[in-house]
Amino acid sequence: MEKLLLIDDEPDILRVLSMSLKADGYDVVSAPNGTEGIVAFEKEKPDIVITDIKMPGMDGIEVLKKIKDLNVDTEVIIITGHGDIENAIEALKHGASDFINKPVRDEALSIALRRAREKFDIRQQLKEYTTDLERKVDEATREVRRRSNFQINLIRSSNDGIVATDKNLKIVIYNPIARQIFGYTPAETINKMQAGDLFPAELAADLQAALRGENNIKNLAWRETTIASKDGDNIPVRFSGTILQESERPVGTVAFFQDLREIKRLEKELLKSERLAAIGQTVAGLAHGIKNILHGLKGGSYLVDIGINKNESDKLKKGWDMIKRNIGRTSNLVMDLLSYSKEREPEFEACLPNQIADDVCTLVHDQARENNVKLVKDFDDSIGEVLMDPNSVHEVLLNLMSNAVDACLFDEDTSKNFRVVLKTIHEKDNIIQFEISDNGLGMDKAVAKKLFTSFFSTKGHRGTGLGLMVTRKLIEEHKGTINVNSKPGKGTTFIVRMPYKLSET
Amino acid sequence: MSKKVLVVDDDADVRLFSVTVLEENGYTPLEAEDGESGLKMIKAEKPDLIILDVLMPRQSGVRLYRELKTAKALKDVKVIILSGIAKKTFLRSQKALTEFGGAQIPEPEIYLEKPVEPDELADVIKKVLG
Repeated sequence: MEKLLLIDDEPDILRVLSMSLKADGYDVVSAPNGTEGIVAFEKEKPDIVITDIKMPGMDGIEVLKKIKDLNVDTEVIIITGHGDIENAIEALKHGASDFINKPVRDEALSIALRRAREKFDIRQQLKEYTTDLERKVDEATREVRRRSNFQINLIRSSNDGIVATDKNLKIVIYNPIARQIFGYTPAETINKMQAGDLFPAELAADLQAALRGENNIKNLAWRETTIASKDGDNIPVRFSGTILQESERPVGTVAFFQDLREIKRLEKELLKSERLAAIGQTVAGLAHGIKNILHGLKGGSYLVDIGINKNESDKLKKGWDMIKRNIGRTSNLVMDLLSYSKEREPEFEACLPNQIADDVCTLVHDQARENNVKLVKDFDDSIGEVLMDPNSVHEVLLNLMSNAVDACLFDEDTSKNFRVVLKTIHEKDNIIQFEISDNGLGMDKAVAKKLFTSFFSTKGHRGTGLGLMVTRKLIEEHKGTINVNSKPGKGTTFIVRMPYKLSET
Repeated sequence: MSKKVLVVDDDADVRLFSVTVLEENGYTPLEAEDGESGLKMIKAEKPDLIILDVLMPRQSGVRLYRELKTAKALKDVKVIILSGIAKKTFLRSQKALTEFGGAQIPEPEIYLEKPVEPDELADVIKKVLG
């Protein structure tokens, strides 16, 4: 039942109105003056108060003010004397919701009460709605803040240097790794510097172009470059960038930087240690090779001495042959060493790779025929004139082809029909693949692993152990690759991929 | 009857050198060009001395030496190593094989590093064969 407070100093009116309102279904609390009315209000907390305006002591206006102070949502209906406009206006000013004239008619009272109730309900709804809205805004704000904190943390703790700018290329985000790379403090950069002040000119220009939407580029792919730090050091970095967009409109840029100093240092160290190891192996291998040659020369001179002293022409001839063979071995060793130690840039010139491959086949033809090895040429006709270093290609193919013939020669399984195949394939991206395969001896994994790295020969005294090192060096200088597949007893395939340049004509 | 000496080396020039020294000094030379055929010949011919190279295809001198010294019937055959490989490298690889689970084997009587003078080779052979 709905509660309302009725305040009037005239007991008759109070009684009559109470009865009437109770009959209408209200739970009526009545008070004979303002002061008691306020006490009752505080105790009963009615939503609606009806008060007479003219009362001794605390009058209706005072009651109204007090009640509004206590609970602003309360609907206060003022009962005024007939024609008391001034007081009615005063009451409205202080937040009265309605007023009715004396004598109070039931109809007017119930209309006023209904309106008061509606107003009260609407206000409650509005209040609930507002509170709900505020709570939702609060939740959303917290969520946004949480996400934003998360993103700030993400940027802060990234291993990449991150520098973001607004659409005028003014720096707005600059994380700790960026600080490590560039050396400037965030205070020196954020809102102070332009991308062009911090980045190399070409990077800034690329970002600017991307911001303008030139060529429809939104992402700048990773590339290596060098930036100048605050201290003037040139720091190698990897860079990538992207354009930030909102509703398809560019609003800024982000650039990512990876510090390559450590990687570069490690690369250099690795290279150095590899080179030292190679030199160590070279010296050890070389010493072994030279000792064998010297031994052969001593043996040769010994036989020649005997031949001369005892006048034995057979010994003389054998000794002399031995000396000549070992001179030949010396020359092979020196030539291999020279081409291994010599740094050289490939000299690109127009040539026909298939023609070179054919020449090499001709060169190893005799060696192959003597050892019952069949040579098979399988050339890709789509390979025309290209720009490569014909000398490198020639030496690489010659080394690998004579190795392949040797692999057959060393194979004891003479029931095999030995075969060496030289295949050329025109790959995409301007690469020629040379495939040299034999069905000879083959190698186990341990041998295959050592192939290119050490002064390693399986050919006993026949090899210098340098051939494949030289081969690999030539291929790498030509920016190519070499791979080997081998199975013991089944044979070996070397795959060489060498890029060519397009002929300018 | 003159003593039999087997020369095991994959390098024909080295064999010819050693064989000539042996002939000049009155021994009977035998030849093998790798470890495998060397072992066969040792078993068949029972030489008094083996002049052994280290780096050879098909069973190296490291392995052959180890087989000789661990075989009851062959362990007393005298061995001269003649190699371009330094003695300490040879001993290191023997040590590695021992640690790998092989038997402890004695060092070779004589280890010569190439190149050698013919006189030096002849002297060593005489000394070893007594």
